[in-house]
Amino acid sequence: MKMEIEDLKKIKFFEKFTEQQLETIASISSVKEFMVKEIIFEQYDELADVFILLQGSMSLGISLPKDKRIHLGTIEEGQLFSWSAIFPPYISTAWVMAITPAKVIAIDARKLNAEIDKDCDFGFKTMSKIAQTISHRLSDTRFQLMNQLNL
Amino acid sequence: MTDNTNIYKPLRANLVDVIEESPLIKTFVLIPEREFVFSTGQFIELSVDGVGEAPFTPSSSPLVTDKLEVTVMKTGYVTNIMHELKPGAVMGIRGPYGRGYPVKSFEGKEVLILGGGCGLAPIRSLLFTLEHMKDKLEKVILCYGSKSPTDCIYKPLFSRLNSIDKFETYRTVDRTEEGWDGPVGVATALLDKIKVKIENSVAVVCGPPIMMKFGTIRILEMGYRDDQIYLSMEKNMSCGLGKCGHCMMGEFFVCKDGPVFTYKEIKHNPEIWK
Repeated sequence: MKMEIEDLKKIKFFEKFTEQQLETIASISSVKEFMVKEIIFEQYDELADVFILLQGSMSLGISLPKDKRIHLGTIEEGQLFSWSAIFPPYISTAWVMAITPAKVIAIDARKLNAEIDKDCDFGFKTMSKIAQTISHRLSDTRFQLMNQLNL
Repeated sequence: MTDNTNIYKPLRANLVDVIEESPLIKTFVLIPEREFVFSTGQFIELSVDGVGEAPFTPSSSPLVTDKLEVTVMKTGYVTNIMHELKPGAVMGIRGPYGRGYPVKSFEGKEVLILGGGCGLAPIRSLLFTLEHMKDKLEKVILCYGSKSPTDCIYKPLFSRLNSIDKFETYRTVDRTEEGWDGPVGVATALLDKIKVKIENSVAVVCGPPIMMKFGTIRILEMGYRDDQIYLSMEKNMSCGLGKCGHCMMGEFFVCKDGPVFTYKEIKHNPEIWK
């Protein structure tokens, strides 16, 4: 299913994007749906898409030896995940699973990278948002680590 | 209030109930020997005869003056002994001390509250106050994180608050357990979910120092000014009178000048997050 520009405008991630830039996003995106407990991708999977959660809720975690999984956080509506799809080696750093029926925008990462190279304003806006996502994840992880260590 | 003749002499209070909030946290319901008046955010010194005293912010409503609730986390010698007490015991109360939340200045605004762990105790008192003045508020949003669902205190509070007009609550846990279907992650992550008019809002942060640090940074990142953020500081308050110096934080006695400060007042203090 194709993404409509009017729907993209409602997403906080795209709040500073121009109409033309939203058209670009729409042209390289599609809407995907997932069922409860469906794995979107596993840790260390090669990734082709960057996702933004539109509806539902997803669990993000890491895998440990002996098939053990640790649930690290919840992805909520409007949040971006699978950011590693645009950075070499394009391998996921975590697994993500739907915990409710979920709808996402899947943005073709290879095409997104090409647009970032082509239009520096588009590239700056996209990378600023991605940097903010990664910064929050890093900050949350430090916070979690300190909690676990009782510091 | 403390006996006028001796500022260190505690008021006697009968322990009438002990509520187990989580494996490490209990709420003590006390009936003081006379009316006890405090403002939300102020703290008391709670004592056990022959053992010692420790500072706590009451978790009950300041509008109730004949009963006091104090939530105590088991962390050391005095609190371990407090946790052994049963209804019928007599405890001591000194105070109230310090500066609480300037709730009058919250009128007409949205109040965002970020809490973690046992930090919900002072927040609970604040929530009672805000509930009482809800007609003068725009909105109250509580974001609260605990280590696990079992460690969450005042569980019934959340559903009660959600049923009140203008109140919204969000909960998360660091570690999930069987039966929990809510969000997992740190309390600060909840801030991504909420909708707030920052220019007409104040933020209150209360919890473990590490949560206060990360929480304050995230709230600043959201666009709040440093004078819109209220922090309830816990700094080993001892005398409660600004005399012993145990709680000194730079130029401030936390017991006398705080424990509630705006971030603007204390942001340059190197001891703020210690």
